[in-house]
Amino acid sequence: MADTDERFNWGPLVADLAQRKATALQMGGPDRVERQRSLGKLPVRERLDLFCDPGTFVEYGMLADHMDPNLAAKGSFAADGCITGVGEVDGRPVAVVAYDFTIMAGSMGEVNEQKVTRLRELVLRQRIPIVWLLDSAGARVGGSTGSTFAGAGALFREQVTLSGVVPQVAALMGHCAAGTAYIPALTDFIVMVKGISSMALAGRHLVKAATGEDVTEEEMGGSDVHTKISGVADLAVEDDVACLDAVKQYLSFLPSNNTSRAPRKHTADTPDRRAEEIYDIVPTAPRRAYDMVKVVKAIVDDGDFFEIKAAWARNIVCGFGRMDGESVGIVASQPKVLGGALDVNAADKAARFVWLCDAFEIPLVFLHDVPGFVVGTVVEKQGIIRHGAKMLFAISEATVPKISVVLRKSYGAGYFVMNGRAYEADYIVAWPTAEIAVMGPDGVVNIAFRKQLEEAPEGPERDRLRIELAEMIRANIDPWVAAGHALVDDVIDPADTRAAVIAGLRANRNKQVSRPWRKHGVMPV
Amino acid sequence: MDVTAEITANVWQVRTEVGATVAEGDELVILESMKMEIPVESPIDGTVTQVHVKPDDQVTEGDLVVTIEPS
Repeated sequence: MADTDERFNWGPLVADLAQRKATALQMGGPDRVERQRSLGKLPVRERLDLFCDPGTFVEYGMLADHMDPNLAAKGSFAADGCITGVGEVDGRPVAVVAYDFTIMAGSMGEVNEQKVTRLRELVLRQRIPIVWLLDSAGARVGGSTGSTFAGAGALFREQVTLSGVVPQVAALMGHCAAGTAYIPALTDFIVMVKGISSMALAGRHLVKAATGEDVTEEEMGGSDVHTKISGVADLAVEDDVACLDAVKQYLSFLPSNNTSRAPRKHTADTPDRRAEEIYDIVPTAPRRAYDMVKVVKAIVDDGDFFEIKAAWARNIVCGFGRMDGESVGIVASQPKVLGGALDVNAADKAARFVWLCDAFEIPLVFLHDVPGFVVGTVVEKQGIIRHGAKMLFAISEATVPKISVVLRKSYGAGYFVMNGRAYEADYIVAWPTAEIAVMGPDGVVNIAFRKQLEEAPEGPERDRLRIELAEMIRANIDPWVAAGHALVDDVIDPADTRAAVIAGLRANRNKQVSRPWRKHGVMPV
Repeated sequence: MDVTAEITANVWQVRTEVGATVAEGDELVILESMKMEIPVESPIDGTVTQVHVKPDDQVTEGDLVVTIEPS
């Protein structure tokens, strides 16, 4: 009998183990967990349950603790305030790091850093995405605040090593400062919970001490700041549930790593579906604005479009959709905002998105309706040339299949950065309304015919001349000239845009591009 | 609430007036820049208390266009 034979006395050992695990599962204890809920946040283990497919999460280091004699008085820290492991999302393995705010404000301590390091090693060996659920005050400022810091920081360097190898995602689910603000900055996609989360290089107490500025976390680094003004974050959502759902949606468009392909999603939406609603969305009058997002939704599978940075640099639209089941990245001018003209932020947003898609072998689709880059003193002082060059750089580098559709205008460098023919565009088609040119007719008139205009008397006569000259130039700006020279591959009925894009992707699915060896280019960032 | 121009432009049309009730997304003014008509939309529901521009005015990025009292 095991219970009477002291050589087989497992009972107390197993009970002790069970007790330790039960304690770890309680996180910071009922009071702190309740406090977490009162802040509108779910406890970390509930977040994991929502995020991973049921029963798939394999935890590493549940029994970790702070192990710091200086913190002995504070008792033990469940999982050392950070849960790490590998779970499945839609059947694919994903590594998750989830900070537990109920333990020392989710701070980064020595032991939980070990756990995160181990997880990153697994990520690199397996080439699986890593997702950070961030609800952390940053580094645990405790016993070791001295110059042992000289050895710190490997986390960020290793994130950079992972960049473009596996998808990296950050979900901001609480106030994150310093270290836990740089983690998201080095990921590919950042989602923030409105009113609950923030990210800033320093928390408000440190800011007050350092600069005297008296601000709240929300004012400094809330979702409004980062999704509308700074452009640091990609998406703002209402609550934890929507946040985790957004991360899953994002991952569904991406492969597990840079050597595999994004999963196909079956659709009943036929490849040759005509999108006649486009006739009512896009005005033929070239100066009239419209909402390009409606065009995008009209052509992608099932109208399902996952927009990135929708509230920032709204003059360009970037996001993921699918075409006949295959993930594509869409870069589209937005005539509704700034007439679709490109400025520094639009170039920044599009360049980064193109780099993201190219890194993970996601084909790109460009929808042109762009009058060019914004000109003038304001944008020159912002470095528009540098930012424009960055977009040129990204488009030029991208070796994924690149399809272009010229809806209406596509002028000058705007045409280039939107994947003009010279940028290894694999299939470029124009609508009957397409105007591809170095600049619009009015611009040409003002430059090439300035003298002639000045010679005409000011008033109606000069205006009439200006209109005549513009009409003369406009006659050479139409899709038939471009198609006649075989510089666009076809002119299409706008309602057949979906079919044309899918045909272009199919015709170019074997694309291979070899470039001369280099360590890396010198990016004009 | 102050509504400002997002770009250096000419004012082409003013489509609202003092006292008008506007809804979020309504076109207040149409600017003309980069060969495009660029609508300035109301960011909120409210009442127009001041219109700071008239047709053919020149505005630069950040210039006041319309002031709206939130409803």
